[in-house]
Amino acid sequence: MGRVRGASPCVFGSSGSPVDPRSAAVSIGAAWAHAPYPVIVADRDGALVELNDAAQLLWSDAVRGDQLLDTVPSWLAEAHGRFADGAPEGSGQAAGTVYDRFFEAHPTPADDGDVVWWLVDDTDRRLAEAALAGARQRSALLADVSSQLLSTLNVTRCMEATARMATDHLAEAALLVAPPQGRRHQLTYAYRGGPVTRATAPVDVHAVPGLAEALQGFPPVPARWINPADLPGWVQPAGFAGPVGSVIVAPLPGHGVPAGALILLRSSGEQAFSGDEELFARLFAARAGAALSAARLYTEQASITATLMRELLPPRLESVHGVEYAGAYRPARDNERIGGDFYDVHPGTGPAEETLVVLGDVAGKGLDAAVLTGKIRNTLHALLPLATDHERTLTLLNSALLSSHHTRFATLVLASVRRRGSKVELRLTSAGHLAPLIVRGDGTVEETATRGSLIGALPKVTSATAHVTLRPGETCLLYTDGVTEARGGPLGDELFGDHRLKRVLAECAGMPAEAIVERIQMLAAQWVGPGSHDDVATVAISAPRAADLTVVGGQRSAGGTTYRRNG
Amino acid sequence: MTALPPPALRLTVTHGAHELTVDVAGDLDLDTGDHLVETVTEHLARRPEVRGVRLDFAELAWIDSAGLSALLMVHRRACAAGRALHLDRRPDLLERLLRQTGTLDHLTARPGQDEDATGTNTT
Repeated sequence: MGRVRGASPCVFGSSGSPVDPRSAAVSIGAAWAHAPYPVIVADRDGALVELNDAAQLLWSDAVRGDQLLDTVPSWLAEAHGRFADGAPEGSGQAAGTVYDRFFEAHPTPADDGDVVWWLVDDTDRRLAEAALAGARQRSALLADVSSQLLSTLNVTRCMEATARMATDHLAEAALLVAPPQGRRHQLTYAYRGGPVTRATAPVDVHAVPGLAEALQGFPPVPARWINPADLPGWVQPAGFAGPVGSVIVAPLPGHGVPAGALILLRSSGEQAFSGDEELFARLFAARAGAALSAARLYTEQASITATLMRELLPPRLESVHGVEYAGAYRPARDNERIGGDFYDVHPGTGPAEETLVVLGDVAGKGLDAAVLTGKIRNTLHALLPLATDHERTLTLLNSALLSSHHTRFATLVLASVRRRGSKVELRLTSAGHLAPLIVRGDGTVEETATRGSLIGALPKVTSATAHVTLRPGETCLLYTDGVTEARGGPLGDELFGDHRLKRVLAECAGMPAEAIVERIQMLAAQWVGPGSHDDVATVAISAPRAADLTVVGGQRSAGGTTYRRNG
Repeated sequence: MTALPPPALRLTVTHGAHELTVDVAGDLDLDTGDHLVETVTEHLARRPEVRGVRLDFAELAWIDSAGLSALLMVHRRACAAGRALHLDRRPDLLERLLRQTGTLDHLTARPGQDEDATGTNTT
């Protein structure tokens, strides 16, 4: 304050005095005396010559002949000294406070070296400017708060950023109390100049006035109602130099559910929170709450999806009982929508027992499809002892899945596999699924003659089982329509189709199972290119070539546990 | 002027004396299946005298498993209301899907011939 401001001519003119200053010093008219702005006249030695009514109101004790230094504030007396000593015309303005008002003072020279000081009350404009600057700063801050908080969907980081920004802009210390998890609350502490710390503790939220209500989303208790002396010790961050002088407890409103509460602290050495600051704290809390609940919702959604995906991930396949298995699963790119393709291999209890392979596809996408996939896999696992009879297994599975609410169905292939000598015997049953393909040693590709009805929507299921024998080096491929219905190619809208698949398979004659599924996945992916694709699942069952037998023998000694799940 | 792309599935409903005919044109899939089920259900509820529903697939461009699921639901609703379902002018695409999934006989069976899962045999 008190900085000399460049007076604008407009302000000077608006002082409204019609009086010529030179004549004013000589004869003071009634208009001058009653002018609405304070005017004082002082001689070159700093003695008061004249003052009008408005000036008399400011300095009621002042009388003619007083020294300016003893009467008016020092900034005006000093400005007078400088001006009287011969400052150039048009300069010499000063500004400063007189009691609780703010004035700009404009000097004009008068006869005999006297100086007339015209004082313009600038208080209201200054207040308005300060309020405007404050409002601009606050809205910039709120925008900053939103952009900082919304840039992260990590709940912990979001809480830390909220506490940190609260101490940067609102209070000396801040504590963010998250909604309870069981009896414990996650607490995020911050204080100005210190680190952000976190703790989880079973604190009593009723000990802080208004906190329990704020956590339930009720409106905040006015700051003046909270006695800082009542606060429990856990509210203050470890490094905060108390005692607490004033407190704000603000709810963090979320989307429908409260996202927690924010406690703001100021030490007793600082000014207490004003009404404006309290209001602003609520706006801040509203932004923080929206960001926090978005982060919380996202985190929950992501963890549900991750849990489901983990359960639905297909197993990694290896050799079991002298038969080679390889599987590949490529989920649809749209990774929030869990797809409906799946496969499983249930090894037989010994080399003489059949191993059951299941590959299937559930109609639809998303959670509903995922739930049905999980049901099918679990039910089939439970039905394993009956798997020697495919038709019965499918009938039981069908009745377990039928629902009057929807017609969501699955198509699947059951393959019971057993090695006999150097050959592999397969019993294949399709339940409404694409028939498995057999790749013979000479490159012939055969479609297996199994046909049956889909599972989960019809009152009765029918099926026909095919018996196939694989000689060493031959492969049976189970696949989902994600392969044949992959859209792409040179024109971008052509189906990969079963003819192309058969041609590719013919070129794969004699290749190991692993190489075949890799190749098909790769070609299907290339076919689709950057376009969107559905889930693609493939399982190859191969009779190992004679040269591989020693390796197979080694695997066999490991018993029935040679396949394991991913992750 | 806004020129919106044509909808993926276009349904044209014609009322005969005793039958309801729905021309199913375009793609019947995950996004459009519900629309077919709702349309047929609505028209059946409004016209109790109708004895059968004909779905005409002459202009069907694409159907996937979710589309088939919708057909099964249409069949279930029609049977529950005692109406026969006819699937007319089936393109190869649809014919193959129905045969592969073993649903052709079920979908075209007359009501009463086939004890349908309309609530009796459910989970």
